[in-house]
Amino acid sequence: MNKVTPLKPEIVQLFDASVNRRKQLAALPFPKKVRIVIQMQQMVEPILRARGRSIRIWPTD
Amino acid sequence: MMHNDAEHLKRFASLMPNVIDSSYMEKTLQVLNTLERDGIVSRYAIGGAMAATFYAEPVLTFDLDIFVVLPETPGGLLTLTPLYNDLRRRGYLEAGECVLIEGIPVQFLPAYNALLEEALAEARETLYERTPTRVLRAEHLVAIALQTGREKDHERIRVLKEQAPLDNAYLAAVLARHGLKSK
Repeated sequence: MNKVTPLKPEIVQLFDASVNRRKQLAALPFPKKVRIVIQMQQMVEPILRARGRSIRIWPTD
Repeated sequence: MMHNDAEHLKRFASLMPNVIDSSYMEKTLQVLNTLERDGIVSRYAIGGAMAATFYAEPVLTFDLDIFVVLPETPGGLLTLTPLYNDLRRRGYLEAGECVLIEGIPVQFLPAYNALLEEALAEARETLYERTPTRVLRAEHLVAIALQTGREKDHERIRVLKEQAPLDNAYLAAVLARHGLKSK
């Protein structure tokens, strides 16, 4: 059986930071999360449009 | 002096419309509240990706899923036509499967089974900025995702289990009641 190589501490640290970042995002107030969703829509819109998919970005305040 | 202060405040307020105006999302929720108050829908709650976003990290979505209990019709028919007609009268037009309400594509989904009826009845009351609204409970979002069973639903379950404050006893009871325990 192949031995699993343990992850380097630097990599473990990166994974932990990612988990923490996602937890921080989850803890944001709902209106702030909605604004992030709209930012994500704006980011993916050119990619989806290039693939022929028409999407509607929500209006921002 | 008092008069001048009042005038100053009034001018200040007129220069800052964004502070006083509601956000588009809030306006959309206000329209949904009006629909409920006017009896066009009996009850509504936010579901889908936006409800998952309420409990966990933001998820990319392009429409706002709104689960609704529709008023009883004489023939017992489940139809969204009266709702769509009412929205059209209010100036909100259909765009594909959605209705554009204050610029946000809203997809109305009638409660078509016992799980959704329960989820709507027990949805969580909350405030979006200053506007009251309802969001399906996280446990019901897990159960609905299990029932629907698409790839993105499995991902939603994983994220909710990791980040949402789930009441495990409540979730177990929901799953048992709706025959989802084996899933």
